[in-house]
Amino acid sequence: MGQDQSKAVDSPADPKTEESSSPSAHNSPPSMESLLAEATAFGNEDANASLEAKAQKALECPCIQNLRSGPCGSQFSAAFLCFLKSTAEEKGSDCVQPFVALQSCIQTNPNAFPKEVLENDEAETQEKPSEDYKIIPPRWAVEPTTSPKTKL
Amino acid sequence: MSPVVLIRGVAAVGDLHGDLLKSKQALRLAGLIDSQDRWSGGSSTLVQVGDVLDRGGQELKILYFLEKLKRQAVKVGGNVITMNGNHEIMNIDRNFFCVHPSGLDEFQNWAGWFSTGNNMKQLCDGLQKPKDLYDGIPSTFPGIKQQYMNGFRARIAALRPQGPIATRFLSKNLTVLVVGESVFVHGGILPEHVDYGLERINEDVRDWITGSRETVSSDLVRTRNSLLWLRKFSNETAEDCDCSLLEHALSTIPGARRMIMGHTIQRGGINGACNNRAIRIDVGMSQGCINGLPEVLEISEDSGLRILTSNPSDHQNRHDLLIPEQHGPREVEVQA
Repeated sequence: MGQDQSKAVDSPADPKTEESSSPSAHNSPPSMESLLAEATAFGNEDANASLEAKAQKALECPCIQNLRSGPCGSQFSAAFLCFLKSTAEEKGSDCVQPFVALQSCIQTNPNAFPKEVLENDEAETQEKPSEDYKIIPPRWAVEPTTSPKTKL
Repeated sequence: MSPVVLIRGVAAVGDLHGDLLKSKQALRLAGLIDSQDRWSGGSSTLVQVGDVLDRGGQELKILYFLEKLKRQAVKVGGNVITMNGNHEIMNIDRNFFCVHPSGLDEFQNWAGWFSTGNNMKQLCDGLQKPKDLYDGIPSTFPGIKQQYMNGFRARIAALRPQGPIATRFLSKNLTVLVVGESVFVHGGILPEHVDYGLERINEDVRDWITGSRETVSSDLVRTRNSLLWLRKFSNETAEDCDCSLLEHALSTIPGARRMIMGHTIQRGGINGACNNRAIRIDVGMSQGCINGLPEVLEISEDSGLRILTSNPSDHQNRHDLLIPEQHGPREVEVQA
């Protein structure tokens, strides 16, 4: 059973989720894999260039310049560079430290990578979810009622 | 004592319920992982029979860990097969009755980072914009304490059909599994389930989780006599089990000689009923259950059954399980 490529970063500290060498990636719509490929391929026609040089060049791809700016831009660049240069069997698995540094930076700067407010967002949030959207909660999460009769 | 590793055999472990430490202890005692938590089971197959979710606070960690083990195992000819338990279906259904508070924390933390990742992707020119994680989920639920609202929203977002965690992990679970002479299922199989079609069951559940199907039949995964809730063959008092019904069900599955089930805690550890045609492997090892001692069932190539236990005072009362059906179980001593 193949593992489908995750379409999103589940945890920035786990670079293993972004294996660009996964054999099952070809079924996914254009997403993280193509971004990585685009950055990696940017300006790298010379196959003999060192891995370091190729990685540096990939960092210059316009597609990721927004991530390289702001309070956590340098941490992003360090983590991404590490990933690009990684020759570990699970690519990026040797990059935990720079990814944790990126996480720490984001925790200190919650707006480091702000959510883009798109025009459609406002319209979508007006839509009320259907009224029968219910959950069954655990007992410990239920707001106590004012009734004196309680079974809990 | 170095662990005995079964080459080309099958190891089965029961309900884990969010307890990563106990899960690793079980796998370590079976020789399936080494001291660095890396797969050391060679070409063995590990089957986990469901109920990773609920009652503990390391559900996501277990899901990721089992996925990683599978990658490692496959590289050396082994495999890790994960299955659906009733608690997986409950969570997909937004039935959070058995969630532990620490479980809400883990999912809320996950959701924060997942959303950050989505924000980062939105900043990449040319990248497909990710869908809002919470799309369609109400911002509040009546009667729930305010402090838990975000945790529940995160859990819903993660585990609902087409949710990121449901898609990445739960949709890869089998609901029924046949390996050689052994049938694996969380609760139990009845003849009507076999009539429906075992492959069809797996497809129905998977397609529901991935959103290809709107619903999945409650008779398969929710009712008392469903595959994931049945206890007819799991009564701790072995004599109370409906053995003739079990025999009937097994007889309709070609080659099947035994059914291996989790779901019902066996306080005395892994044991067999109905002439070892029903093997019950849920030992309640999670701290959120009875904190039972970890145990793993081993099925060797020639169908010898063995219980691997951490129980120091195990007097092998269950040694009737150790009588091989053909030859003696082949043991291979491997340096850990």
